[in-house]
Amino acid sequence: MPYLGSEDVVKELKKALCNPHIQADRLRYRNVIQRVIRYMTQGLDMSGVFMEMVKASATVDIVQKKLVYLYMCTYAPLKPDLALLAINTLCKDCSDPNPMVRGLALRSMCSLRMPGVQEYIQQPILNGLRDKASYVRRVAVLGCAKMHNLHGDSEVDGALVNELYSLLRDQDPIVVVNCLRSLEEILKQEGGVVINKPIAHHLLNRMSKLDQWGQAEVLNFLLRYQPRSEEELFDILNLLDSFLKSSSPGVVMGATKLFLILAKMFPHVQTDVLVRVKGPLLAACSSESRELCFVALCHVRQILHSLPGHFSSHYKKFFCSYSEPHYIKLQKVEVLCELVNDENVQQVLEELRGYCTDVSADFAQAAIFAIGAEKREQRGDKKSLGDCCQVSPTKILHCRCAATKRVPHIWLPCGIARTYTDQCVQILTELLGLRQEHITTVVVQTFRDLVWLCPQCTEAVCQALPGCEENIQDSEGKQALIWLLGVHGERIPNAPYVLEDFVENVKSETFPAVKMELLTALLRLFLSRPAECQDMLGRLLYYCIEEEKDMAVRDRGLFYYRLLLVGIDEVKRILCSPKSDPTLGLLEDPAERPVNSWASDFNTLVPVYGKAHWATISKCQGAERCDPELPKTSSFAASGPLIPEENKERVQELPDSGALMLVPNRQLTADYFEKTWLSLKVAHQQVLPWRGEFHPDTLQMALQVVNIQTIAMSRAGSRPWKAYLSAQDDTGCLFLTELLLEPGNSEMQISVKQNEARTETLNSFISVLETVIGTIEEIKS
Amino acid sequence: MSASAVFILDVKGKPLISRNYKGDVAMSKIEHFMPLLVQREEEGALAPLLSHGQVHFLWTKHSNLYLVATTSKNANASLVYSFLYKTIEVFCEYFKELEEESIRDNFVIVYELLDELMDFGFPQTTDSKILQEYITQQSNKLETGKSRVPPTVTNAVSWRSEGIKYKKNEVFIDVIESVNLLVNANGSVLLSEIVGTIKLKVFLSGMPELRLGLNDRVLFELTGRSKNKSVELEDVKFHQCVRLSRFDNDRTISFIPPDGDFELMSYRLSTQVKPLIWIESVIEKFSHSRVEITVKAKGQFKKQSVANGVEISVPVPSDADSPRFKTSVGSAKYVPERNVVIWSIKSFPGGKEYLMRAHFGLPSVEKEEVEGRPPIGVKFEIPYFTVSGIQVRYMKIIEKSGYQALPWVRYITQSGDYQLRTS
Repeated sequence: MPYLGSEDVVKELKKALCNPHIQADRLRYRNVIQRVIRYMTQGLDMSGVFMEMVKASATVDIVQKKLVYLYMCTYAPLKPDLALLAINTLCKDCSDPNPMVRGLALRSMCSLRMPGVQEYIQQPILNGLRDKASYVRRVAVLGCAKMHNLHGDSEVDGALVNELYSLLRDQDPIVVVNCLRSLEEILKQEGGVVINKPIAHHLLNRMSKLDQWGQAEVLNFLLRYQPRSEEELFDILNLLDSFLKSSSPGVVMGATKLFLILAKMFPHVQTDVLVRVKGPLLAACSSESRELCFVALCHVRQILHSLPGHFSSHYKKFFCSYSEPHYIKLQKVEVLCELVNDENVQQVLEELRGYCTDVSADFAQAAIFAIGAEKREQRGDKKSLGDCCQVSPTKILHCRCAATKRVPHIWLPCGIARTYTDQCVQILTELLGLRQEHITTVVVQTFRDLVWLCPQCTEAVCQALPGCEENIQDSEGKQALIWLLGVHGERIPNAPYVLEDFVENVKSETFPAVKMELLTALLRLFLSRPAECQDMLGRLLYYCIEEEKDMAVRDRGLFYYRLLLVGIDEVKRILCSPKSDPTLGLLEDPAERPVNSWASDFNTLVPVYGKAHWATISKCQGAERCDPELPKTSSFAASGPLIPEENKERVQELPDSGALMLVPNRQLTADYFEKTWLSLKVAHQQVLPWRGEFHPDTLQMALQVVNIQTIAMSRAGSRPWKAYLSAQDDTGCLFLTELLLEPGNSEMQISVKQNEARTETLNSFISVLETVIGTIEEIKS
Repeated sequence: MSASAVFILDVKGKPLISRNYKGDVAMSKIEHFMPLLVQREEEGALAPLLSHGQVHFLWTKHSNLYLVATTSKNANASLVYSFLYKTIEVFCEYFKELEEESIRDNFVIVYELLDELMDFGFPQTTDSKILQEYITQQSNKLETGKSRVPPTVTNAVSWRSEGIKYKKNEVFIDVIESVNLLVNANGSVLLSEIVGTIKLKVFLSGMPELRLGLNDRVLFELTGRSKNKSVELEDVKFHQCVRLSRFDNDRTISFIPPDGDFELMSYRLSTQVKPLIWIESVIEKFSHSRVEITVKAKGQFKKQSVANGVEISVPVPSDADSPRFKTSVGSAKYVPERNVVIWSIKSFPGGKEYLMRAHFGLPSVEKEEVEGRPPIGVKFEIPYFTVSGIQVRYMKIIEKSGYQALPWVRYITQSGDYQLRTS
């Protein structure tokens, strides 16, 4: 179709719409209207024929009416004064004998989205609520929510709300569900629709009559209901049990979430629920619809964080198929890594090895990283391998010496390579033999990280390294190789010669980061093998100081030069940092995350994005966004909805002890925590009596209620048991805490560090902590 | 679940149709969708969920269209995707094929449907059979009379209209089992599962009550008939019409069916069965000169059964030329656009073994890019046979008018995702 200036088109259409001959011929008339809509759809501004379109709404042809109303809804905000003219026709249609017309008119009227329309729609909506046709009632019920939105934040119309509550008993299932949706919207400010016992039971009884959307919706609303007794709770669970078998994945997920939340006090019920959804989840994971498969995989990973090995016997279901899209393969690889155990390690590694030589370089690299059991949160800015990567609050702390200046990574707790180091190193070594650039570079990076975490594999890695340099071109790979040569150069015979090549070509090296790494590595190697390195170190330093353009590299060169002038002992003292990190001992085995820590996020976008990614998204969404999932009245419940009822009151009083106000949701990163922890002195140390076993989850939840965040925690029952906590008060003062249970000792040792020395807040903080720990102690005994 | 708006975009990301349901996300946000998608694709980090600022895009692709739902809430992802699939399903039933052309040609109906499918971001009437009762294709015929509200829109049983009448009351039951198989290059079976569905075609008058009896092991154990041959069904899922509570209590499958075609139930069995058609292959590649392929196919099912329409697709290098084939049965065809040889065998009796040899030339100049190793795929259909041994024991049909109705049963086993990796 030749492009016509929209003005000409409007003029022509206007003429056609006004033409009495066309108006008389219904077919032609409707064709003209269709053309208007077509142009509108294509994005042309058709608001010029508004008047003529309003006139066209006076017709008996229902399709024409629909088109005209669609047009009006689109352009009403642009032409509010003209749209008012249409109200008359709409009002008339609202009392049409045909319920379809009534519904259509009411729906359109409520969707006009222009100021001043409220006063006209109020009466038709009220009439609609009492209409005998359920089709109209459905529209009217949602119309109430639309009207409320148009009003802005005006007060809630009590009568209307009551009417809606009574309509929850309507015959028509969709009316019932729409009532819930509408009330939720209207009562947003008050915390949403109230689900009391009669309503909850009414909804439960209607469940089987609802369609899948309704069922999913009701399951979501029922999350809000707190059964009065254990008996009632189990009655509900029994009643809803069959919905775990629904053919709609949305309903299955909704039911699972409801079960997890309802059974939050009964860990064995939760576990049982997770066992029962295994089947449906696995089915969804091999579902033909990729998006659902993806969502299911994300949730499987979520479950695995709490129940490692939950899907281990089904590992084969997570083998990738040739034609699957990338995002599914990546998720599957992640899952595979997390469910490795002694029985299946051979098969899983075999399968993963196949992926490492995949034709897609991205996927191959992801598989190699997976074998190395390492997941990069950030590769550069853009190349995050999976935005769905989960970062647990108990992620492993790790810190490298300043001299190693590594990109911050986050180690994932899965760690095939940690447990099955030999097999992994062997596979990785074999991959080097392929002499493919994209593989070699990733393998070397994985080696670097492995050596750091599992020093026992150093020997094998050093043997595999020679020859790699020929197949590495990219900056990341070069850095990794140079780092390895520098740190473990004394075990690699040709290390100086490889580095020499890099020094020779340093002029043409484009990445400053590589040059920095080279400087450090060469200086380190010089310390262990001075004779071979002295000459080229001199050359490199000369180049960096005299010729290098990049200031950072030059400064580094100058720094090392001056350091060397101070004397070789000083250089050794500063540069010879540990070559691996055995201190990771405590935290390398992160506590399994309790089910309750993610149950409230289940079946939302959070597991699909990954918690870390979600956090960044919601951060950028800003504070003004009132989270619709968390009703305001339950702000307390939102911060810790998982705390047993009876403890709630007790802990709730805690923040009043002293003038201390801890800021909620101040989650520090593990890196930051560790840095701060190391830089501070212990401000307070004390010992509390502690007997027997307890559940770290309970402690973590209780702490969360008083806004103390858990950074990391050992597994339940391990000795020594440690936990690291952080909190911040409203003045910005940080409290960092270590809890320590020594084996065989019946006391808990508490060490608190503070970034500003203020005794009174410190004292109130400690008393809060004491109370929480005391409470937990009481509960368990 | 709440979607703010739904978009149908063409392959370049230009909106063909959009419907703003809630008005809380600016419609112009969709402009960010395509650039974001392209960017993520380049990074190798594409996912069916993208976000731009406050807006989340949940999308799926169907032929040359993108269906995108926008939302600013922490929505329920699986429900939004289900809604998008449902939309596609409804459109497909209306237009046979859903693609750019059909959207353009039918935009009036598309608007009408979008209007009924969702209101204010919440799914409303999504059953295409019910929609078809009041949104008709022949919108061109000028009916000035009253378009009446179909009874189902107001019914308590939302999936069936009242007053349906047939001269002959019949039910057709299709028991279809798909076999998914994944075999490693070394011949070990990595994955083998059966996905079964029971589909019904219902031509029954009135509001009939149906009861289906299967040789379900749990039921047999309940009733003490454990000696009979039975099947242990796992992960059973039912259509909405089935009374789940009754199934839970006494394993009875009872329901009032929708009219026409629908899927009554699905189940899954992970019991290991011998792969029905076993393939052994040798693909020898002599660089710069030729590729030689030998494929042996063996029917590992009962001699009385016959697999129909067997198609074995074997991958060949993309630069292969001058194909030559020799088959002991059936015919082989080279399909260069998919880089496969397809060996078709019309009927393949159980217990038989067939052979195909193929020979391709390779150019003397090797091409640069590395190729993947696509698997060998097999398609087949075995009628009158179910791998699991599931049987329909009875189908009771009770209607208050007391008519006699006939149930017909048909069993089929077919290939699902049936892949054998090549080395």
